[in-house]
Amino acid sequence: MFLEVKNIKKAFHKEQVISLLNFTLEAHKTLSILGKSGCGKTTMLKIIAGLESPDSGDILLNSLRINEQAPEKRGIVYLYQEDLLFPHLTVFENIAFGLRIKKVDKNIIAEKVNTMIQRLELEGQADKMPHQLSGGQRQRVSFGRAIITNPSLLLLDEPFGSLDAGTRTRMQLLFKKLAEEFSITSLFVTHDLKEAILMGDEIGYMEKGNLKVYKDRDSFINDPMTGVQNEISFWDSLNTKKENEPMNEEVKIKNETE
Amino acid sequence: MKLSWKPYILSLLVILIIFPFVYLVLLSFASDWQFPNLLPSYFGSRNWQMVVGSENGLLGSLTLSIIISLSVATISTLSGFILSRTVSYHSKKHTLTLLTYFPYILAPVVFGACLSYFFLKIGLFGTATGVVLAQFMIAFPYALIFFSSFWGNRTKSFENLVSTLGGSQWQSFSKVLFPMAGGMLLICFFQTFLISWFEYGLTSIIGVGKVQTLTIKVFLFIKESNFFFGALSCCLLIFPPVLLLYINKKYVFNKLI
Repeated sequence: MFLEVKNIKKAFHKEQVISLLNFTLEAHKTLSILGKSGCGKTTMLKIIAGLESPDSGDILLNSLRINEQAPEKRGIVYLYQEDLLFPHLTVFENIAFGLRIKKVDKNIIAEKVNTMIQRLELEGQADKMPHQLSGGQRQRVSFGRAIITNPSLLLLDEPFGSLDAGTRTRMQLLFKKLAEEFSITSLFVTHDLKEAILMGDEIGYMEKGNLKVYKDRDSFINDPMTGVQNEISFWDSLNTKKENEPMNEEVKIKNETE
Repeated sequence: MKLSWKPYILSLLVILIIFPFVYLVLLSFASDWQFPNLLPSYFGSRNWQMVVGSENGLLGSLTLSIIISLSVATISTLSGFILSRTVSYHSKKHTLTLLTYFPYILAPVVFGACLSYFFLKIGLFGTATGVVLAQFMIAFPYALIFFSSFWGNRTKSFENLVSTLGGSQWQSFSKVLFPMAGGMLLICFFQTFLISWFEYGLTSIIGVGKVQTLTIKVFLFIKESNFFFGALSCCLLIFPPVLLLYINKKYVFNKLI
């Protein structure tokens, strides 16, 4: 297994945020994790990224224990819900940031960044400043900035949470495409049921600091805890109601006037 | 047609604001202005030539003031920026922030008198280094308080992002935090420069008359009733802040707004 998380526990003061975390993830796969606010998703991601230290347990990346490794040495990029583009840098420089701090050759940077800009469908935006971009464009730059560094693991903390429905769908498709193209291994945290099903090769559900990873999509759908069954019943009830009503109010009024 | 008083009132206000500055400049060119003469008996550049000739030590005071204020502003802005991060992320943040207000509880003269024993013990009494240190103790808490608004969850997220992208803490400061706080750094530099530039109480006590900054000189001339040199040193005193204000307005405020 590429990522192994074993017996992780974490408490802040007396509150147990992560109860007991155990899961594995294969390379080049995406594990989407569904969970409500405050269930410990962000803390889990921060522990894996090295931004928080666990009270106990081990994290193994490529069979190597990384608990004591500094975040900058792990090769794990953590993406926030906010795009966090550097306001003083252009689109080009934002994407190039990770390569510049690793002191990669200028020509290689230019080549890689230009290719990434094309892949992100951001042609003609390279010289723009972050405030000149739309929400979707900003999130794409944020993706590009992370992916270009070729991270061993990408952690996404509700990355589309602040986008409108249309942009969100386009970004989901783009992420799927990029994940395949760049063979990305990722943990995708979301509180959106549909997004969790769409984005993950594997799906997990997190509640009160516990994570349950399902063996397949059907098990996730059939588990009443995940809320999928509730959602299905809701839409079914709407459908049944619609079928029982002979005509809707608008048609009724129209007929009466005629 | 209805007569509007607005332009007249406005002009009067402008004159009232500008008059003291113009009067100071005129006074700095004059000498031997005795009552009841309407105009001074001498009006020329003699006083200003003396500055260059450094007969009254004004050029030396100007240079010393600039060096002291630049040192205080640079040290307190940089250390304030870096240490305010530590304070803001500290678990005892509120207590530490409360302590930063401590130097402002006392009047600078009283504060200086309290500290004078320690300055005497470490051999900094009556030295420019001692004055820089004393003024730093006033300017540094200001910088700490000023930068506290910069550090928060969002800035912390930027720092975390840089480190997961492979950047060290130094790279985080040099490539992200300093450029992002550029406007604030300049404003803080300007403010701490002014705190130091116009500082009188602490400077007079710790400097014991040996460190004669321009502010000390102005008071000396006024005590001697030498209004012409007093006005001249006031002009010199105003010039650097006006220059900084112009730079700030042109390059900082316009970008921030």
